[in-house]
This record gives sequence, structure tokens and C-alpha cells, in this order.
Amino acid sequence: MVTIIDRTLTTLDTDRIDTQDLNHFCTLLFTCGVTKIELSYELAFRLKPFFIAGDSDEPINTHTCFLTLNNNDDGTPIWKLEPNELAEKAIPPSQIKDLRNKKIRLLGLEDLITRNYLSIFQKLLNSGAHTLDLCPSNKMHCATAIALEWILAGGTSVSCAFANYHDFPRLEEVLMGLKLRDPSSFKGDLSVLSQLKVLYEKITSLPISKTKAIIGNDIFKVESGIHVDGVIKNPATYEPFNPKTVGSQREIVLGKHSGQQSVLYKLREQNLSETAAKSILKQIKEGCTQLGRNVSDLELQSLVREVKNDYETKIYC
Amino acid sequence: MKQKYIVDTTLRDGEQSPGVAFTLKEKVTIAKALDAMGIQRIEAGTPAMGKEECLAFEKIKAVCQNAKIIGWNRMNLSDIQSSINCGADIIHVCVPSSDLLIREKLRKSRTEVLEKLEECADSIHSAHKELTIGLEDASRADWDFITLLIDTAIRLGATTLRFSDTVGIMTPSICKNYISNISSNINIEVHMHNDLGMAVANSIQGLRSGAKYVDSTLFGIGERAGNCNLEHLLIATVGQMDFGICLDELQWRQERLRPIIFKIHPNNIYRLSI
Repeated sequence: MVTIIDRTLTTLDTDRIDTQDLNHFCTLLFTCGVTKIELSYELAFRLKPFFIAGDSDEPINTHTCFLTLNNNDDGTPIWKLEPNELAEKAIPPSQIKDLRNKKIRLLGLEDLITRNYLSIFQKLLNSGAHTLDLCPSNKMHCATAIALEWILAGGTSVSCAFANYHDFPRLEEVLMGLKLRDPSSFKGDLSVLSQLKVLYEKITSLPISKTKAIIGNDIFKVESGIHVDGVIKNPATYEPFNPKTVGSQREIVLGKHSGQQSVLYKLREQNLSETAAKSILKQIKEGCTQLGRNVSDLELQSLVREVKNDYETKIYC
Repeated sequence: MKQKYIVDTTLRDGEQSPGVAFTLKEKVTIAKALDAMGIQRIEAGTPAMGKEECLAFEKIKAVCQNAKIIGWNRMNLSDIQSSINCGADIIHVCVPSSDLLIREKLRKSRTEVLEKLEECADSIHSAHKELTIGLEDASRADWDFITLLIDTAIRLGATTLRFSDTVGIMTPSICKNYISNISSNINIEVHMHNDLGMAVANSIQGLRSGAKYVDSTLFGIGERAGNCNLEHLLIATVGQMDFGICLDELQWRQERLRPIIFKIHPNNIYRLSI
């Protein structure tokens, strides 16, 4: 059983997050497959009406704690709080020595991909540690890959955070990586990721890039004629997974790289006349090259009207 | 340090990113900057797209002093002729290699794919051009067919074989398994997509497993979540791999190209006129 720890709430300014949003954020994290949510005690106590603090009466000797999802005796879900007992260490792999019976979180390790990381992982797995959580840094843009490879190599705990305003592996990428590797054992529901993104943007006021892997608004837009041709025939041809898996949907858009097929598809989709498709495509290609963007549905409708008027004028003349 | 080479595809796969589109002048400006910073190969686009694209190739050829210019092509004689006509140094043929693409997109058989590839190679050799072959969707293809395609590519005289993770589903260890099993009788190029956020890591693993060339784009632009980001690749491989490119120079040149690459701004909403 792999433990996925989410650290998003430790990376944000949480003062202005209201309890309802906080509660919803945690619910969505658990739904998408997170095992433990790391947060400050101060923040956890703001959640108090919603959980039973199993060990919260014990002395607090760590800065953060973990929120976990458990089941009551009658099977109903309940949140519990436990102290974060992981000792954080940022040490190079060569200095990893006696970890026996320890509860450790390893930080840093950002350059593992450029090394023989599998042998380093093996050494860590044989270290005799009680708990070994990996939270690699993203300074070299490889944190997600390191986290995923750690789990695939036999690691049992990774720490991540949602989206990309932090130095940790990206939660949504790690979860999707796990789901694609072993769909049958993955228990999370990633269709809530789109809701999680909206809520994240609301509570942080930080916009998520349109091309951000897994959650970007534009990642399921298809423009180039070659890809549109494939996607119309069978969407799986150019999609790594069904957009619905992450609560999104595909969209065929028109631009410089569109072909005749794309225009016909869009005209049919919007119940518009196909008469002047060739002329419309030419206008779109020229216009989009200058603008450096796609054509909106409203612009397409307007273009169809104008081309039609132009045709009618020519006929009457 | 290991010597490796960049194939920049900002002007081809990068431009296929929805909403990204370059004018002829902009393509030439980007190509000139790429050449100046020491990029070895520039995939400048798809000549089959039309006259404007062919004209861009001619201008790019004229301004680039060192980089070899690649024309990207579907497995189609007419496309290839366009690339030859516009003076591309390297004629790249993209070969759908997974059964999914062969069956669902091409609506052909594996045998037909092999036959068509032979025809394409003949036409490129007749024009005395360098041939490179790309295995589209190789990460979802049957390994036996991949092996057959690699043997065919070597027999047909292709100088480089591009291994494409077209939908970005690989992990570094899977990448290693594939690339390290490709024959050493042909140069290997890896083309990674960022759908799982691992394009840089997979590219590094591909290079560590034997690839000589790696595809990347400025700002990591490309289909869906993009391609391997050149700046990130250079940062991640400092002291480990030498691409003949200075990171500082790349960063300032890339920043100067930002307004051309991301043209969208709030005022850019005027209606298309006819």
C-alpha cells in the first residue's frame, strides 16, 4: 500500500482560506487518491467541526500534522489527525547510512535522474528504515519522475503538492502516472481534479498554466489537421487518457494548422453552412497567423455570415 | 561530459500547440536565434502546409549558417516532394508505428506501412537528400514491429531514427528499456511529450540509454502539455551532458523571443475580417 502525502496546504498562505473551502479542498484531495494531508496544527484546528482528532490531545512536538481518512465502525468515513513524525533530511545519496527503525523524509535529491537512481533506491529500500518518505526537489524539473520511479521501484511513501507553485513533485502528475501504470489497483477518482484546480485558483489567486500537464485548460484542445483527423476517427490516437478521467473534455479548435476536415467538423458541430468551407479555412489560416491564437465559435459564425453575404452579393451583381 | 545534440522543433511541434502561430518573418527570426545559439538541427515546419511554409524554409535556409534544416513529412510522396523542393537539408518521414495509429488513423496494415516507407525512401535518395525516420507513437507500439521498422530504417539508409513518445506516457525506466534495446547501427533521437510532466526526465534517460539527439522546444511549447523544455533540459544536465549550447545565452535569447512566441494579450481580440 503506497502512502501519498499531499503538502499543498503547507505551501500556501492559508490565513484567508475559509473553513468551508478548506474542508472542500481536503475532501477533494482524499477523493483523488491522497492518503495523508499535511497541514499545520493551526489550520487543522480550523477544521475541528469536521474531524475527530484521534491523538490531538497528545503533546504537540512537530510543526505539522497529517489528516487521514478513516472509516467509523458503521463504515461511514471520518477524518482523523495524527502527528507528523517524519524527520526531514536533505542528504546526498552517498551519505545515506544508518536509517534503521527511523521515520525519515528525504528531501533534495533533485539530480537523481542523471545518476544510476535505481541502485540508490535499492540501497534506501534495504536501509531498514521504519518509514522512508521521498519528497524530491523540482530544481531540475524531474521531481515527478523521481517520485514515480521511487514508487515503481518499491518505495511506499512519497510527498507531493498540487499544481506547480512549489518545489515538490506534482501531485496530479504522480497520481495519473500511478493510474496509468496500474489502473486496477489505483483507487482514486481523478475526475475531481478539475474541481480541485478551480478551488486552488480561488484560494490562492494563482493562475494555473493553460498547458500544465493533467490540469491545464488547453491540453485537450486539438488544432493541427493531422491530429484532428486522428482524433475524429478515434480520440485515443492522440490522447494519453480520456479527458473525462480528469473531469475535462476535448475540443477541436481552428487555427493556422487546421485542415479542411477541422473546418467541416466545426461547421457541422455548430449547424452552419458548409458551402464556403474552403474560403473560410483560408481566412482562418491567414487571420490566426497574424493574431497568434485560435478562432472563437462566435468569430466562426460571423465569418460564415460574411462569406455567405459576399457570395450572395456576387450572385445578384 | 557526454556530447549530445539538440533537434529544436519549436517551429514544427511547438507551433502545433493550439493558439501558437508564427508569420514567415517570425519563423525566420526564431530560426536565426536558434542557429546563433548553436542548435545543430532545426525542424522548421511541414512544407506540405503550403506556399508560405515553403517560402519560410527558403528564408530560414538562407539565414542559418550552421544548423541543418529538417522538413517534417507524413509518409506521403507529395509531402516529401514539397520538402525536397524547398531545400530542406534533412527529409524526415514520420511513420505511424502503433497498431492504434496504423489501424484507426491510416486505416492501413503494417505491410502497407512498410511498402510506403520504401517508396518514400526511394524518392528521398533519388533527390540525394539525408533521410531520417520517426516512429510515431512508438511508446504504444508492438516491440516486434518496432524492431522490424528499425531494421528497415537501417536498410533504407536512414541516418537517424526518432523514437517518439507521442502521447507522453513513458516513465524514465520504461524509456531506458526501449532505447537501450535499439540497434547501435543507427543514430537514435528521442522525442518526448510532457503529458505526465516527465518530458525532461524521459529525455535525459533516453540520452543516458544511447540516444545521440534529443528533441526540444523553446518554453517547452508543443501539442497538449508540450514537449521537452530546452531550458529545463540544460539546467537538469549541467555538468553531465554537453549540447554545445550556453544556458545563459539560451535564456536571454529565449526571453527576447517571448513576445513572438506568446502573442496573446488582452488587446489581441479584434474580429477576423474577410
